[in-house]
Amino acid sequence: MGMLPRSPARARPRVYRWFLSLRYLKARRTNWIGVAGLFVAVAALILILSIMAGFLSESRQHLRGNLADVMVMPRMDAPIAATGELPRADPGPLLELVRSHPGVAAASVQLQWYGIMMREGGSEVMEHPLYGDLGLVSLVGIDVEDEYATTDLRESLLSTPPPASRVRMEYVDDIDDPFAQPQGFEWDGLPLPTILVGAQLAGSLGLHKGDVVQIITSSIDREEGAVGEPSNEKFVIAGFFRTGENEMDLERIYMQRQVLATFLDRDAAWSQAMLRLDDYEHDHERIVAELRHKLYQAGYVHDPEHPFYKGGEVTTWEAFRGNLLGAIENEKALMGVMLSLVMLVAGFTIFAIHSMLVAEKRRDIGILCALGGTPRGILATFLLIGCWEVLVGASLGTLVGVYAALRIDPLEQWLSRTFGVQIFNRDVYLFDHIPSVIEISGVALIVLGAISVTLLFSSIPAWRAARLDPIEALRSE
Amino acid sequence: MSKPILSCRGIRRAFPVGDQSIEVLHGVNLELREGERLSLMGTSGAGKTTLLNILGLLDPPTEGEVYIDGTSGWGLSAVERAQLRNRRIGFVFQFYHLLPELTALENVLLPAMIAHGGMEYLRLRSEFTDRAREMLVRFGLEERLRHRPGQLSGGEQQRVAIARALFLDPPILIADEPTGNLDRRTGEKVLELLFEQQAERGTALLLVTHDERLAARCERTLYMEDGLIQADSGTPIPQ
Repeated sequence: MGMLPRSPARARPRVYRWFLSLRYLKARRTNWIGVAGLFVAVAALILILSIMAGFLSESRQHLRGNLADVMVMPRMDAPIAATGELPRADPGPLLELVRSHPGVAAASVQLQWYGIMMREGGSEVMEHPLYGDLGLVSLVGIDVEDEYATTDLRESLLSTPPPASRVRMEYVDDIDDPFAQPQGFEWDGLPLPTILVGAQLAGSLGLHKGDVVQIITSSIDREEGAVGEPSNEKFVIAGFFRTGENEMDLERIYMQRQVLATFLDRDAAWSQAMLRLDDYEHDHERIVAELRHKLYQAGYVHDPEHPFYKGGEVTTWEAFRGNLLGAIENEKALMGVMLSLVMLVAGFTIFAIHSMLVAEKRRDIGILCALGGTPRGILATFLLIGCWEVLVGASLGTLVGVYAALRIDPLEQWLSRTFGVQIFNRDVYLFDHIPSVIEISGVALIVLGAISVTLLFSSIPAWRAARLDPIEALRSE
Repeated sequence: MSKPILSCRGIRRAFPVGDQSIEVLHGVNLELREGERLSLMGTSGAGKTTLLNILGLLDPPTEGEVYIDGTSGWGLSAVERAQLRNRRIGFVFQFYHLLPELTALENVLLPAMIAHGGMEYLRLRSEFTDRAREMLVRFGLEERLRHRPGQLSGGEQQRVAIARALFLDPPILIADEPTGNLDRRTGEKVLELLFEQQAERGTALLLVTHDERLAARCERTLYMEDGLIQADSGTPIPQ
């Protein structure tokens, strides 16, 4: 016979494997339960992890607020080598030092202290602190130009609150000179020093642009260790800022560094330096290590090699907010683990269905053997059924999961409307939409997981099918 | 006399039963020549099916050799043996043994699907399909090509099974009581077809049967009893 070569090419996958596996998949409706399981697992994993990744990235933005890439908080007690002065008197040498470091794009210094703020004219201040016309605030003195270059202050002064949020903004008159007196303001014919207040703080105290507030503070006498005489002063609100980071927007007040230094009447003119790096994502670890070393040599910080040194003096904003970010990251990993159990259940389903199929097809397996099928071919046939299942289940799951992640907002709104239950409460979270970020590597990992689970669980029944004795199998009638 | 296409020497087969082992075949010698029609008779339990399974390379003997075309079948690797089963031997079973999920046509094509890789098969597919259809039409199954085994009568199923066994034109056809499950008239017709095809193709046929009249239509008959071939209608048994 010409068309049937006597010694056919070896080791080429014979066509019956494909043909029979597809036929079995089609003929057995129960196989689709496994496909459905894989579909649900893949789609749910992609959707949930995308939302968690979205929360993480959104939260990162919110948690950062007006912190800078890297922050330097030097020791107060020892004079620095270069000048022999206490470090916080003049920020010049430090700024020069860090600005000259390669990889540092910009630097600024801040002077930070605490105070109590109350509305001018609030007569019952001390009696009703809970009514909200008294607030403990963090006073931050800045140099505007430097600050704009290193932190997101400028953006937060121009920020637009999301429509659903109850926070309202009152903007400064001139973004390039935010500490200018509000237009038309007069106080007994005298100018007052200006402050910028967080939008949340302004909201909670019912303050407006142009309002006059009093700030009371007291500095600690370094030598005697005693609390100094309290000093108080009147300020006028020049505008609001909104970083999105709750704590910052609720308790921070910006003023000019010189104004705060004078107000506090101390020898310290700055308390911390803020740095912006050229490439934070890639370089921050190296640059932080270099800065620690450099600043230690200059006498600003403690020895980074010291066993008790924890690195708090030179730190990234992420390390500063480390536990909060870690918590979300943790939650994401936990969700991943929980949902992987769904995948495992899908795997068990496939295992059960395939075991049933192999038991049902004992005779077919014997027939295939008699017709010249090899154990390997039979193994491949039953394994291929799993391959088709995961192909269909995982691709549909990926498609639907990615689509749902991209269109989560309209989807959630539709679900909420249809079932009359609010799924995502926009008042509880800081965002007015459900954030979602699709991570390609995550999706790939999920699909890979689905493939390995399916192959793993379908290989056991397939292996059993391959080991079946053909005589035994043919006898079963 | 033509040369033997299938033969065996000193076949013994023992099955473990509990801690003991029971020998079913006690050293069987057999020879099937090219194009020969040979019947094997014997009471149930004589070991006919066991012998058939060993000759068909489905079940390994405890002792002895099976030669196909002069090659020792049980000396080959499992893959090579599978290939021999695929190319050189056609099986017809008492209970038809068609795959229930496949149509009649697909069942006939199955040996070709086992013989060929995907690309090869695709290239030859129309040729194969035409040939399978032709065979089934000739076997009187023109209306049944797309039917599943469950929709066919016993006689029709057995005809599909014969077409499947002969599809790759093997030189050896092993039939284990092919009419044992059919009524008399249907059995006759199926047998006619089997003999007709066997003669036309020059296939050697080893037919296991209980039926004396059936055996009488074969060139040679072997009688098996207690795990040994006791008589040969053609030649004296070499001892």
